[in-house]
Amino acid sequence: MDDCDSLMRRVAKGDRSALAAIFDLEAGRLIAIARRIVRRRELAEDVVQEAFVTIWRKAALFDHERGAARAWMTTIVRHRALNIIRDGGRLDFHDADQLATLGDRAADADAAYAGLPETEDLKRRLDQLEPERRRSIVMAYVVGFSHGEIAAHLGAPVGTVKAWIRRGVASLRECLS
Amino acid sequence: MTSQERIMRAGDYVLGLMDEADRARAERDLTIDPEFREAVWSFSQRLEALDNDAPAEPVADGLWTRVAAEISGVTQQTRLELVQSDMEAAGVPVAAPDRHGALGLKRPMSGFFRGARGTALAATMLAACALGYVVGQASVTARDPDVVVVLLNEEEVPGALVEAYGDDRVRILPLTNFDVPAGKVLEVWTLYDTAVGPVSLGTMASSREAVLSGPDLPAPRPDQLYEITLEDAPRSSAGRPLGPILVKGLAVSPPR
Repeated sequence: MDDCDSLMRRVAKGDRSALAAIFDLEAGRLIAIARRIVRRRELAEDVVQEAFVTIWRKAALFDHERGAARAWMTTIVRHRALNIIRDGGRLDFHDADQLATLGDRAADADAAYAGLPETEDLKRRLDQLEPERRRSIVMAYVVGFSHGEIAAHLGAPVGTVKAWIRRGVASLRECLS
Repeated sequence: MTSQERIMRAGDYVLGLMDEADRARAERDLTIDPEFREAVWSFSQRLEALDNDAPAEPVADGLWTRVAAEISGVTQQTRLELVQSDMEAAGVPVAAPDRHGALGLKRPMSGFFRGARGTALAATMLAACALGYVVGQASVTARDPDVVVVLLNEEEVPGALVEAYGDDRVRILPLTNFDVPAGKVLEVWTLYDTAVGPVSLGTMASSREAVLSGPDLPAPRPDQLYEITLEDAPRSSAGRPLGPILVKGLAVSPPR
């Protein structure tokens, strides 16, 4: 959104009030994105807190981008969230137990795909993919499944999953370009 | 890296399927490879629709206060620092090496690296090798560049990347924000023959990536000097560099 892009340019020049404005616009959305990956609300808030510090620190990098502030912030949040679930250090038993329920997380991913409006370009593109390619991509993106988790959930070898994703990304890209 | 590989890496990066080392490399490439950057942001913007489905969560009252408290002690990094730390994270040290004496180039070309030549060349080679697989393939639409050049500032920190092609085109990718006051331009020069002296390849109004179609010159060669100076607009009236040198470097052949 233009709003975010112009605010981010101000952040890059050291304007804290612009960061606060971005926070007001985006924090709720970003917590939701983090929560789909880390599951627990407090962890999701930690992720977003850390992400905003990174955004502040690295805003100079954004200034040269082509104006994709929201995508940039989403990427920072998702990667931070993935770090937490993959290194496991911040998860207790309860979390690990939750993470183990691949089925719940996969259901969230399916729901995100099902929730795409028919008019959405991405929906049409995903519809054209073979189901396992589509599901692999959506599960990786939405809930942060690793290759191994996708493989476990879909009952396929990891190598096969990697190939599905590669082909899926390639055909999405062809469609998009 | 072919454009296909670039797309696959962009996919893995956006989907979060990279291990930490690959991600550090990808983040470095985001900084220095415009086409990888474009692949990443276009893919992630398309996938954004999948995020819109999640209803925004309520934001806890104290969360902004916590963020504000934390950033009050955090200094924002400059683009150059970020480029350096990205590259260091990817295992490529690019910080200025210890050196004795300044390059001391008060007049254009006067120093032409002299004593520091070895150091500067080493730094250039190091950076160019590290960047080579990216820069060497950055133009998916064109053939590979004949040479790549990492232009260093006085502190020997990379300030711009140049790819020079056999058809006289030169692609400039600034890695820092050059301060270009009103009435000034960035002018790009090369010295392919000391008998001829520096030749202008063109001018740039700002620190934006640019492709210049330079004059008809012999094919660029390794060790050829490139530099960017700050000149009065529209270009140096003397046809040779008059203003201060911002960055300069020696060309190397990209690894194939």
